[in-house]
Amino acid sequence: MQVFLDLMWFFRQHKTRYITGIILLIMVALLSLIPPRIVGLVINALTHHELTHAMLYRDLFIILVTALATYGIRYLWRIMLFGGAIQLATELRTKLYDHFTIMSPEFYHHKRTGDLMAHSTNDVQAIQETASEGVLTLVDSIVTGSVVITTMAFLNWKLTVVSLLPMPIMAFAVTRYGKMLHDRFYLAQAAFSDINDRVQEYVSGIRVIRAFGQENWERKNFITLSRDVVNKSVAVARIDSLFDPTISIIVGLSYFLSIAIGAIFVVHGTLNLGNLTTFTLYLGQLIWPMLAFGFLFNIVERGRASYERVESLLSVSPTITDKKGAKEQVPSGAITYAIRQFSYPGTAHVVLKDISLVIEQGHTLGIVGRTGSGKTTLLRLLLREFDLKPEEGDIVIGGVSIQDVTLSALRSSIAYAPQDAFIFSQSVLDNIAFANPKASREDIVKAAYQAGVLEDIEQFPNGFETIIGERGTNLSGGQKQRISIARSLLQQAEILLLDDTLSAVDARTETHILDQIKNVRQGRTTIIATHRLRTVEHADQIIVLENGTIVEQGTHEYLWSLGGRYWDMYRRQQLETQVERGGVEV
Amino acid sequence: MILAQEQSLSPTNSSGTFRRLLGYLGPYRSKLILAFVILLAATATDVVQPLLIKVFIDRYLIPRYFPRTILAELAAVYLGLVILTAVLNVVQLLLFEILALNIIQQLRIELFDKAQQIALSFFDNTPVGVVVSRITNDTQSILEMFMTVLSTFVQNITVLTGILIAMFALNTRIALDCLLLIPIILGVMTLYRKASAPIFHVARQQLALLNAKLNESLQGMAIVQAMRQESRMRHEFGQINNAYKRARFRNMQLNGILLRPLNDVIYSLTLIFVLWYFGLASFSHAVNIGVLYAFVTYLSRFFEPVNNMMQRLNFFQQAMVSAERVFQILDHEEMAPQTIGHSAAQITRGEVVFDDVSFSYDGRHDILKHISFTAHPGQTVAIVGHTGSGKSSIINLLMRFYPVERGKILIDGTDLRMISSHELRRKVGLVLQEPFLFYGDITSNIRLGNQFVSDEDVVKAARFVQAESFIRRLSGEYHAPIGERGATLSTGQRQLLSFARTMAMNPVILALDEATASVDTETENAIQNALAQMRHGRTTIAIAHRLSTVQDADLILVLHHGEIVERGTHQELLAREGLYYKMYLLQQGQSA
Repeated sequence: MQVFLDLMWFFRQHKTRYITGIILLIMVALLSLIPPRIVGLVINALTHHELTHAMLYRDLFIILVTALATYGIRYLWRIMLFGGAIQLATELRTKLYDHFTIMSPEFYHHKRTGDLMAHSTNDVQAIQETASEGVLTLVDSIVTGSVVITTMAFLNWKLTVVSLLPMPIMAFAVTRYGKMLHDRFYLAQAAFSDINDRVQEYVSGIRVIRAFGQENWERKNFITLSRDVVNKSVAVARIDSLFDPTISIIVGLSYFLSIAIGAIFVVHGTLNLGNLTTFTLYLGQLIWPMLAFGFLFNIVERGRASYERVESLLSVSPTITDKKGAKEQVPSGAITYAIRQFSYPGTAHVVLKDISLVIEQGHTLGIVGRTGSGKTTLLRLLLREFDLKPEEGDIVIGGVSIQDVTLSALRSSIAYAPQDAFIFSQSVLDNIAFANPKASREDIVKAAYQAGVLEDIEQFPNGFETIIGERGTNLSGGQKQRISIARSLLQQAEILLLDDTLSAVDARTETHILDQIKNVRQGRTTIIATHRLRTVEHADQIIVLENGTIVEQGTHEYLWSLGGRYWDMYRRQQLETQVERGGVEV
Repeated sequence: MILAQEQSLSPTNSSGTFRRLLGYLGPYRSKLILAFVILLAATATDVVQPLLIKVFIDRYLIPRYFPRTILAELAAVYLGLVILTAVLNVVQLLLFEILALNIIQQLRIELFDKAQQIALSFFDNTPVGVVVSRITNDTQSILEMFMTVLSTFVQNITVLTGILIAMFALNTRIALDCLLLIPIILGVMTLYRKASAPIFHVARQQLALLNAKLNESLQGMAIVQAMRQESRMRHEFGQINNAYKRARFRNMQLNGILLRPLNDVIYSLTLIFVLWYFGLASFSHAVNIGVLYAFVTYLSRFFEPVNNMMQRLNFFQQAMVSAERVFQILDHEEMAPQTIGHSAAQITRGEVVFDDVSFSYDGRHDILKHISFTAHPGQTVAIVGHTGSGKSSIINLLMRFYPVERGKILIDGTDLRMISSHELRRKVGLVLQEPFLFYGDITSNIRLGNQFVSDEDVVKAARFVQAESFIRRLSGEYHAPIGERGATLSTGQRQLLSFARTMAMNPVILALDEATASVDTETENAIQNALAQMRHGRTTIAIAHRLSTVQDADLILVLHHGEIVERGTHQELLAREGLYYKMYLLQQGQSA
C-alpha cells in the first residue's frame, strides 16, 4: 500500500477529484442495495397477494430510477478516478521529460535511450493502473467488505468472528505474495528495458548490421533478451496465479467454519436455519471484496515497483546546475581559460592540462591538434556540458566566471555546431531555425546561404520544406554539417563554436563559409576546432593541442616561424596539396 | 509526416486480425486444450462446493441427523474440493500465462526476423521510436489478450450457458424472452468495438508519436540544451503528451458509457421486465414464487459473466489494434533482396562488374542510369560527383541493400543476386559515412558477432588502422566501455574503430563511402597508408568528396545525375579538361 503514500502528493493535488470520486463510489454501493430490497418487497407482496398495479409500477419505477442514477454516477466516478489516473500518467511523463531536459551529458553517457523510453511508457502505464484500478479496488473492497461484514455482524456477531478467522492467513499470504511480486516485477520491467534498448540500437544501426551480416548474431541476442523477458514474466506469473486460488481456499475455509459452527449454533438453538442460510449468502457477497483485496495487492506492488524505477530516475540530479545567486546577465567580452587540469567525471585520464588562454572579444581562435588531443573538451567546457571543479580551474567571459551566470544566460551567448551534426526529423527550415523558431524565412535563407548549403537545399524535392532526419531525406555528412552551421549562424550569438564542423565540406565551400563568417561576425568571437590547418590560417590566434596541453600558441605566421609542431603539420598538409597538384605539374 | 504515416494505419478488418491472432495458438493446441479442460474442471469443482453445503443442510442439519463418519467424509470431501479447485486454478492460470508469454515471444521473434528481412527503405522512412514501439509495446498489449481475455471468455460463456439452461428448465416462456438479451448484449459489444476502434487507433498513434519524440529528444539532448530549446521541446512534448491523454480519456469515457455501467442498466431493465411479467401474471392467476425467486437469482448470476467479458473487451480491443500494427510490419511487402538459388559461389578474386545497371528508389526517378564498369581484382575504382549524383546508390546496390532490377552486378563472374548472404557479407567490407558504434566495449565493437575474429585479430585490426594508440590510452584499453552510439569517443576515434571493424573481417572487396571525411590529417594519412596496404589483393570501390584521396585510383568514374559522364585515371581525366578537371580546379583554386 506504500505506493499510495508515494502517490499522496498527487492525490492531495487533486483532493476534490478523489474525494468526489470516493463519495460517488460509496453512493453506488448504497444504491446497489435498493433493487434487491425492492425485489424482496415485490415478492413479499406477491406471496401475500397484496400486489396492486400502482404498487408494481411504483416499485418498477424506483428500480428504473435507481438504475439510471447508478449509470450516471458510475460514469462520473470513472471520470473522476480513472480520469485522475490518466492525468497522473500524463504528469509523470511530463515530469520525466522535464527531468531529461535538465540532465547533463554525463547522464546520457550512462543511460540508454531504450531504457529511458521504457520508463516513460511501460512504467508510467503500471503506475496509472495502480492509481485507477488500485484506488477503485481499495475503496470498493473496503466499502463493500465493511457493508457486508456489518450486516453479517447484525445477523450473528459470533459467527461473523468465526467466519473471519481465516482472514489473517489471507492477509499474511497476500502480503507475502505482494512482496515477491514486487521484486519479480521489478526485474521483469528491467528486462523489458533491456530489450527496448536492444531493439532501439538495432533499428538505429540497421545498416551496419546488414553490411556486416550480423543478422543471426543480433537475432541470437534478441532471442536471449526476449527469453529473459519471458522468464522473468513467468516468474511474475507464478506469483500472479497464486492470488485468486489462495483467496478461494480462504473463502472455502470461511464457508466451512461458518457452516460447521453455525450448525452447532442451530443445534443449540442460538441461530435459526433461515438466518444461517442468509449468513452464507452474505458470505458469498464477501468473495468479491476478498478477491479484490488480492487483486489490489497485486496491482499495488506492480505500481510500487514501477514507481521506484521512475523515482530512482527522477532522483538523479543534474551535475550541471545554476549556482545559487547565478546572474541572468548574458556574459560578454574576452574569454579566459585558466585550467590546471581536467578529467571527465569518473575517469582518471587527464584530458586537459595547464591551459592558459585569452581570446579577445571579436577575435577568432583556431584550435588544431590530433584526434583525442582535447579540442572538443575545450569547447564543451565553455558550454558547461561539464563543470570544472574549483581546484581544476575556471573559464571567464568578460571578467565573470561562466559558473557565476545561469546556464541559460551562458548558452544564449554561445552558438555551437558540434562534431556530429544532429538533425531533427523536421523540415530543413525547422532544423535551421531550431534555436530561433521565430526567425523569418528571409533570415533562414540567408543563414543557409552563409553556410553554403542553400544550393543543396534548393535541389531537395521540397526545398526548405523537405523533411530531413531520421525519417526524411538522407543527407550527406557535409550537408548535415552545413545545416548545423546554418543553424548556429542564425543564432547570431556573440560566441560561435565550430567543432570540426567543416571536416566533410569541400574546400571551395569551406572558403565560402569562412568568408561569410568573417563578414557577418564582425566584432564577435569565433572558435574553430579543426584538423585542417588551412581552415584557421587567418585566425587571430591559433593553439596547437597535444595530449591536452597547448604546445604552441600564436598567429599562423608566428607558429610557422617557430618551425615546430605547427610547421610540421602544415608542411605535411602542404605536401599533400602539392601531391595533388603533381597531377598537373603546377 | 510521422503523423501522416501513422494515420495511414486505418482501422482494418478486426475479425480477420482476431482470427490471425488465434492462428498463433495453433502450435499450442494440445496445451491450450489442456488449459481449457483444467479451467472447466476448476469451474466444475467450484460449482459443486455449494451443493455439498446444501446436501449437509437438507439431509443432515434440518433432520438433526449427525452420523460422524459420513459428516467427516463430507467435510473431507468439501475441504478436498476447496484445495483441488485452488490447485486446478493455479495450474490453469499458470498454463494460460505461460502460453501467452510463449506466443508473445514467438510473435516478437517473428517481428524481429521480419525486421531483418524488410527493405532498408522501411527504416529510412519510419522513425526508430515507432519501430521500437511496435516490437515491444504493441506485443506487450497483445500479451494481455492471450493471458486473460481468451480464458475469461471461454469460462464465462460456459457459465452463461449453464445459467441459460437452468432458466429454460424453470420457465421456457420467460427464458425465451430472456434470450433476447443475447442479441442486445452482442449489439452493445459490437457497438463498443466499432466505437472504440478509432479511439484506440488514435491512442496507439499518439503513443507511437510520443515514443518517436522521446527517442529523438533523448538522442539530441545535447544540442537541445546547447541551443536552450528545452522549454520549447517540453512544450512540444507536452502537446503530444496531452493529445495522448485526450485519446486515453476518450477511451475511458467510452468504457464508462458502454461497458459495465450500461450492462447494469440492461440488468435492471431485465429485472423490471421479469417483475412486471410475474406481477401482471399474478393479477390473473397465481404465480410460482419459488420460480420467480430462482429467476431473479439466476438473472443476477447471468450478468456477472457478461460483466466479466465486457470488462475484458477493453483489453481485447486494445490487443486488436496493437495486433493490426504488428501485422502491418509482418505484412510489409518490400523486402531486402534475398539470395536467389543455392549457389556455392565464392568471392575469391574480387572482380566487380556493373553491367548496364539502372536504379530507382521510388520507381519513377532513376538515380542511376546505365552504369557499366569493371573493377579488376585488386584495382581501386573511385567514384566522384556532387551530392545527389548517385554515388551512394552504387554502394547500396553493391552491398545488396537494395535489389538490382535493371542490369546486372557480377562479382567474380557470379550474379550478385545469386551470392549467398554469408559470402557477400563476409567478403565485401563496408565503411559507412558515419560510424555507428554499439553499446559494449572496444573489442565487441570491432568483433561484432563474428566469433572467428580472435582477440588477436581485434588488436591486429586496431593496429592496422592505427587506432591502437588511442585505445591504449583509454582506461580498460580493449575492454574500455562504449556508451550508446559511442558518445564518449570523438568522431575521429569512432571512425577509426569502424575501420578496424571492417579490417577485422579481412574482406576481399572494400566499399568505402566517404569514410575519410572526418579524421584529422595525420590519422587520415595513416589510414590512407593502411588502405593502400589493404588494397594489395583487394578490390576497392571508393566514394570520395575530396579528389586528393582518389588520385592513385586505377579508374575514376565521374557521376553526374546518375550517369557516368567521364571515366579514366586521374591523369587522363585532367587531360580531358572536362567535369573532373573543373572539379579539380575548383578544389585546387582555394588553396592556391
